[in-house]
Amino acid sequence: MRVRNVLLLGGAALMMVVWTFPVLWGLLTSLKSERDVLAYPPSILFEPTLGNYADVLFGATTILPNLVSSVIVAGLTTALTMLFAIPAAYALSRLDLPLRKASGFYVLATQMLPPVGLVIPYFLILRRIGWTDTYQGLVLVYLTFALPFAVWLLVSYFEEIPREMEEAALLDRAGRLRALWHVILPQAKGGIAVTVIFVFLNSWNEFLFAVVLGGNTVRTVTVAMFNFISLEQTQWARLAAAAMAGMAPVIVLGLIAQKHIVKGLTVGAVKGGGRR
Amino acid sequence: MKVDSKTRRRLLQAGAAAPVVLGAPWITRFAHAQDLGAYQAAKINWRQAEGEKITVAVIPAGYFDALIAVTPEFQALTGIEVRYEKVPPGQIRQKAILDLTSKTGTYATHAADPMYYDLYVANKWVEPIGNYLGDAKLTDASWYKPDDIIPAWRGANSVKGQLYGVPFDGESTLQIYRKDLYDAKGLKPAETFDEVMKNAAGVHNANDRLWGAALRGFKGAGQNMYIYPSIFRAFGGEWFGGGQFRANSREGVAALEWYVELLTKYAPPAVRNWNWPDLADAFSQSTLGLYVDANTSASVLNNPEKSKVIGKIGYARWPKGPSGKRVSSIWNWGFPINSALPDKAKRATWLFIQWACSAETQARTSWKAAGPVKRLGLNRLALWESKEFATLAGGLGANFLPASIASMREDLDVGWRPQMPQWPAVGETMATAIQAALVGQQKPQAALDEAQARIAQILKS
Amino acid sequence: MNRRTGERQFALALFLPALLLLVVTTTLPLVYLVWTSLQRIDLSMPWLTGFAGLANYAQLGGDARFWSSLGLTFVYTGSTVALQVAVGLGLALLVMQVKAGQGLLRVAAILPIVLAPVVAGLFWRSLVLAPDFGILDFLTRALGLGSYNWLGDPQLALVSVIAIHTWQWTPFAFLVLLASLAALPPDVYEAARLDRANAWQRFRHITLPLLRPAIVIVVILRMVTALSAFAAIFAATGGGPGSATEILNLYAYRLSFTELNLGYGAAVATVLLLITLAVSFGLFALRKAR
Repeated sequence: MRVRNVLLLGGAALMMVVWTFPVLWGLLTSLKSERDVLAYPPSILFEPTLGNYADVLFGATTILPNLVSSVIVAGLTTALTMLFAIPAAYALSRLDLPLRKASGFYVLATQMLPPVGLVIPYFLILRRIGWTDTYQGLVLVYLTFALPFAVWLLVSYFEEIPREMEEAALLDRAGRLRALWHVILPQAKGGIAVTVIFVFLNSWNEFLFAVVLGGNTVRTVTVAMFNFISLEQTQWARLAAAAMAGMAPVIVLGLIAQKHIVKGLTVGAVKGGGRR
Repeated sequence: MKVDSKTRRRLLQAGAAAPVVLGAPWITRFAHAQDLGAYQAAKINWRQAEGEKITVAVIPAGYFDALIAVTPEFQALTGIEVRYEKVPPGQIRQKAILDLTSKTGTYATHAADPMYYDLYVANKWVEPIGNYLGDAKLTDASWYKPDDIIPAWRGANSVKGQLYGVPFDGESTLQIYRKDLYDAKGLKPAETFDEVMKNAAGVHNANDRLWGAALRGFKGAGQNMYIYPSIFRAFGGEWFGGGQFRANSREGVAALEWYVELLTKYAPPAVRNWNWPDLADAFSQSTLGLYVDANTSASVLNNPEKSKVIGKIGYARWPKGPSGKRVSSIWNWGFPINSALPDKAKRATWLFIQWACSAETQARTSWKAAGPVKRLGLNRLALWESKEFATLAGGLGANFLPASIASMREDLDVGWRPQMPQWPAVGETMATAIQAALVGQQKPQAALDEAQARIAQILKS
Repeated sequence: MNRRTGERQFALALFLPALLLLVVTTTLPLVYLVWTSLQRIDLSMPWLTGFAGLANYAQLGGDARFWSSLGLTFVYTGSTVALQVAVGLGLALLVMQVKAGQGLLRVAAILPIVLAPVVAGLFWRSLVLAPDFGILDFLTRALGLGSYNWLGDPQLALVSVIAIHTWQWTPFAFLVLLASLAALPPDVYEAARLDRANAWQRFRHITLPLLRPAIVIVVILRMVTALSAFAAIFAATGGGPGSATEILNLYAYRLSFTELNLGYGAAVATVLLLITLAVSFGLFALRKAR
């Protein structure tokens, strides 16, 4: 039994190493000088420097404007998505919506579209209306993946809320809208928070749309990081620093909301999916 | 081969990690302090487009930072306001085309890839420069001396003999080798393709992390398809025969076989994914005996913060191929004029281009630059041969200036890559085939046969 | 009756804005994609622009790179999904036995999931897989296994991009399956234990059937992610070497935005769209049938 436990713990530990290693190694690299990065064998002990962070945040290769772009794009996308998704999810999950099944299926199907199939028509359309490299253009495109996902996730949360609570509110002649506002929303707070986090995360991490449809005005961090490898001289330490800085918001968000994310994945995937 | 550390640092910054110099407090001081007399000697009215605002797309690079740094002088001279947009090299073609196809005229001019002029011209997206060069109101030819600009670069930026973009900064390709290792083994820089192999074998010692030779293997029209054409032409290859595109000619296959053999035998395995920064990194970490790449990468190799080979570097022209020719790659970032602009903006754009590519501005962004960035890729041989430039570039390694000048004078070959509007697709197809052969996915003949079939399909209309 | 009509109208009022937005932002562009695939739109040969009928699709037939790309898409999707489910399930079963440190593991598992795929690709490419500088190269050499050109060799590059995707998304499968396992009623196990069923029998006849819905949904979601994979491969290999890791997404991108042949690129993207829809519908149908 002892041996077995040791093996189990070893396996679990190995897994942790594998999952965290690239990020930790990236963190380490971001603290090295360019010379230390190129050292062979790779150095574990070195004189750490914050110079790379100074460079990528405030220096010549600053990614601050890109962080701003990402905040705007992801923030607007999240706000708009929730504005449309909450009522729609409520209608889908709790109300007698005509063609409910077909509607739900349509929403689900739109979530599965390959982005490359969308980026080509959007490239042509946005070019025609002059919306390439604009916030409104990119946010519009981001809705294509954010909205169906949010509706789908919210439905599963709304379905969990006991009907009786809503019924009680309705008997009070509170009306459907007030029932939504006063009963459903407070009850689904956790689910809504998880949805917000996921939508924000997905928008923050998006790359294909941003690289094709963005530009100089709207250049998100993911694109900026990719650009690090196409400059005159690849600067691994700075790339690592930029990546750590660019990913810090989502990593922090992920760690803070870690419990909810797991629950979100489970509810969204197992429960909601299980019924549909 | 001594370089004082100050020069080194400057050169380093010219090559890479270019700091943004705009907005630095010294700029204003600098602009006022500068003398505009050198420009006012031109018999044109520099202020004829006063009040215009133009946007210029460039890539983030030291040589453009040097230009940005002196742009306040242009504004003082002409009253034209210039806004720069920095677009990464991987995206500038696409972003420029997006602007040109939608005819929005966002970019008055942009740093253009020479291989794209055929496409631009086929679509009438850019203006013939000749209209502006020939207009005495717009250009004082005796001051501007447009014919001094390196002829092959102009040739590369021309379609059917008409110039469409003025070269601002460029390079030729050279053998960059470890002089210390060669000297120790009694080797001389290769004069023939066979000697390249022999030299590589001579210094190769993979067990000790020293590889004999390396060339760009990374897939891309501007990467492996930047190096392969030199080999192709040196083997006597012709891109067109009997009105047809010919990728898989005997010479083409022989050239690719040579490329594959060199890299297979003497290059680090990873080279097949290497672009030039990776090569420069490896060379400066003292793991390569030779590589062939842009002469301007000399500044990176002399970066004291990264390089372990300072003082050990030698340069030589491309060796002669089996056909007896030496063929260097051609590269320059040129400035075209966007056709979608109104007339006055076009004139303003031309004044900007004329200013940027004039001998005076070239000098002011190089040895005369007050800022930290001093560029190397000047567009006129007269400047390369000047005493001041020799002082700046003298410490980059053995034979740097003579090899650079000779290669730019004699080895640049305008027909080196196939000039055609379909280049974006053709270049990518060739690049994929070359890499497929380099990694052993396909034999050279089969890879080129497939590329030939695909390109024939692309060109079918 | 009145109340019912009222509710329906109310439901519609809540649902229609989102529905309209979805139709406008997803369905109409897809119609336009299909329309584009019937055109010749080649920015490098603008004089040829015009309606082309099915010419782009006919061209697909003889395009070796398309077929290899299609094959790679199936290999990539199939192997990454299978690996994620197998590894994720294995780990979940294992972790169920470990009482201590589960929380820590969950945190570790979150890390790859929240990372942008383009960053995952860049990290793996530069820090892990790069010969000479990468840590994996150092490890294999230190262990005497030799040096491998992970991203430069066609087969290894495919293995590498599959590994990257698996690394990034297995935690998802793991977390979902772990949560499902934890939710299984303990009494069935007790009963089985009393029946003297061995571990494998318990897994095969109790755990697996109970987990099936969760597994199926994981397969569906992972498959959709795999079919739309782009950024990690783009950053790690760019589809290379040669075209060894060029799945349909990358091929359609390259055709459209590097080679500027948008019409043909749209045809490739349409094929991918059809495959994705067919796979999703197929899986859902399969699910319903059970």
